[in-house]
Amino acid sequence: MKRYILFVIALCVTAVYMFPLYWMYITVFKSASEMFQYPPSFWPQHPESHLWQVFSERGMGNFLWNSLVTACGTVAVTVFVGTGAAYALAFVQNRWTSFAIFTVLVLQALPSSLMVTPIFTAFKALGLLETPRLAVVIAQITKTLPFYIVLCRPSFVQVPRELRDAALVDGASPMRAFFGVILPLAVNGILVSAILVFLQSFGEYVYARSLILDDQYQTATVGLSAFVGATKIDWIGIMTYSAIFVTPILIAFMLLQRRIVAGLTAGALK
Amino acid sequence: MNTLLRRFPRANAFEISLAVFALLYLLIFAGLPLIYNIVLSFQQVDLMEPATLLRPFVGLANYRDVFGRPEARQVLINTVLFVGLSLTLQIIIGFLLALLFAQDFPFASAMRGLFLAGWIMPGLVVGVIWKLIFAGDYGVLNHVLMQTHLLHEKIFWLSDPAWSLYAVILANVWLGVPFNMLLLSVGLAAIPADLYEAAELDGANPLQRFVGITLPMMKATLGAVIALGAIMTMQQFDLIAALTQGGPANSSQVAQFWSWQLSLQTFEVSAGSAVATLMLLLVLVVAVIYVRSTRNERMV
Repeated sequence: MKRYILFVIALCVTAVYMFPLYWMYITVFKSASEMFQYPPSFWPQHPESHLWQVFSERGMGNFLWNSLVTACGTVAVTVFVGTGAAYALAFVQNRWTSFAIFTVLVLQALPSSLMVTPIFTAFKALGLLETPRLAVVIAQITKTLPFYIVLCRPSFVQVPRELRDAALVDGASPMRAFFGVILPLAVNGILVSAILVFLQSFGEYVYARSLILDDQYQTATVGLSAFVGATKIDWIGIMTYSAIFVTPILIAFMLLQRRIVAGLTAGALK
Repeated sequence: MNTLLRRFPRANAFEISLAVFALLYLLIFAGLPLIYNIVLSFQQVDLMEPATLLRPFVGLANYRDVFGRPEARQVLINTVLFVGLSLTLQIIIGFLLALLFAQDFPFASAMRGLFLAGWIMPGLVVGVIWKLIFAGDYGVLNHVLMQTHLLHEKIFWLSDPAWSLYAVILANVWLGVPFNMLLLSVGLAAIPADLYEAAELDGANPLQRFVGITLPMMKATLGAVIALGAIMTMQQFDLIAALTQGGPANSSQVAQFWSWQLSLQTFEVSAGSAVATLMLLLVLVVAVIYVRSTRNERMV
């Protein structure tokens, strides 16, 4: 009996929490006249949707493409540079590596909204704003790289040291031991961390908004904020845009939820 | 084994070069901007002038300028309120949820998973959805509050200076709750079950068990959650950009958004970098205290 009371309470709490998401999806299907009526309707009376219309009129294809390009660039460099560092910081233990871990952890706390001032000024002086998507990737990696190293390190800590030692004794070079023996055992953690970095970069806003001056290269978040900032506010269009943008993120997250949660908690409380 | 390994000269050279690669990147693109920001805050910066890294030194003039502005006091109070209230509410709600989902009932872990959807959503999209919910004339929040007789007339959440900051805080709490809940759940799961069994045998009621066992055992986790929450709240930008942009009349302006507006909207980089330097110092202090106290290990 107690279990079912708890179940009902939890169900109510979850429903209240999920309401903003519900509201986004339900607004997508409302008609223009229904949108501004008061009291608002909780279920569309005459469902209609303008998915394709919003997608093409707002040029979402180009926005999403730019988000995808910057997110993929960020993930590629982060994984390339970060995996080795996570491994090194897991396997080598001395004064220097613990200082390095300390630095990485502290750097993770730096807010983009504050770091953007010196980055913008310096990039402008160096001419990096001429290649805006590259500028965003470079800036965003300073945020994702520490995050990735911290998330990924525990999956290397789990790998027994003896495996590496045995490979070295067998005559493998340290590089072969890393690629041939250790990396395959940490692949799960690497994948989960890479996906989290991707999802984070796909929704990045501060750097895209600040460093990309040419609309042609703007990302989906900036396109959305321009849509919201328009003088005549088109809520149905805005919610349609939002739904098209976040649905793939939500699906990816739901599919990988178990692994992501396990990875996160291992990284957080190792 | 150790004697064997000693035969490999500089056995860790490969690993160290891997770490150095990443650290060099961070040094160049995070460390240097950090220092450059401090330098900027003591310089007179005019972006219209030809690109240069060295500019006239003006001492503390930028800081005096920032603190002399009429909105400075308001921003300071708002920032303290924003961080303080967001943190308090996130932790209380997160803790209650973690306790709820630690109980044994059907679909507990599935429902907890749904909460994390809020964590993965881009902050800007969350802000946009809340903007619709907060709408004064046709917003659903006003409707629900009036239906339940908590309100007698509509509140214009985002355009009323008395409410705008609290609206932003509410949305920020929504965004922060899942992460708090997740970390606190992990902390709860680590408490040995036999402690509770022993206490129950001794006749302790649930409240006594919570105060006597749960809270003391959760001290380290709570410390971590407070520090991480403070850092995440001081990073919050997207929500403010989507909801109020610091307005109306700076009523919901907080330091990190102000700094960005100064630097990148009105192009007063000198003033923006002064605000950024002060906030960055604060964030770094919290981060250093936190990382040191948790022995370098605990941070997502």
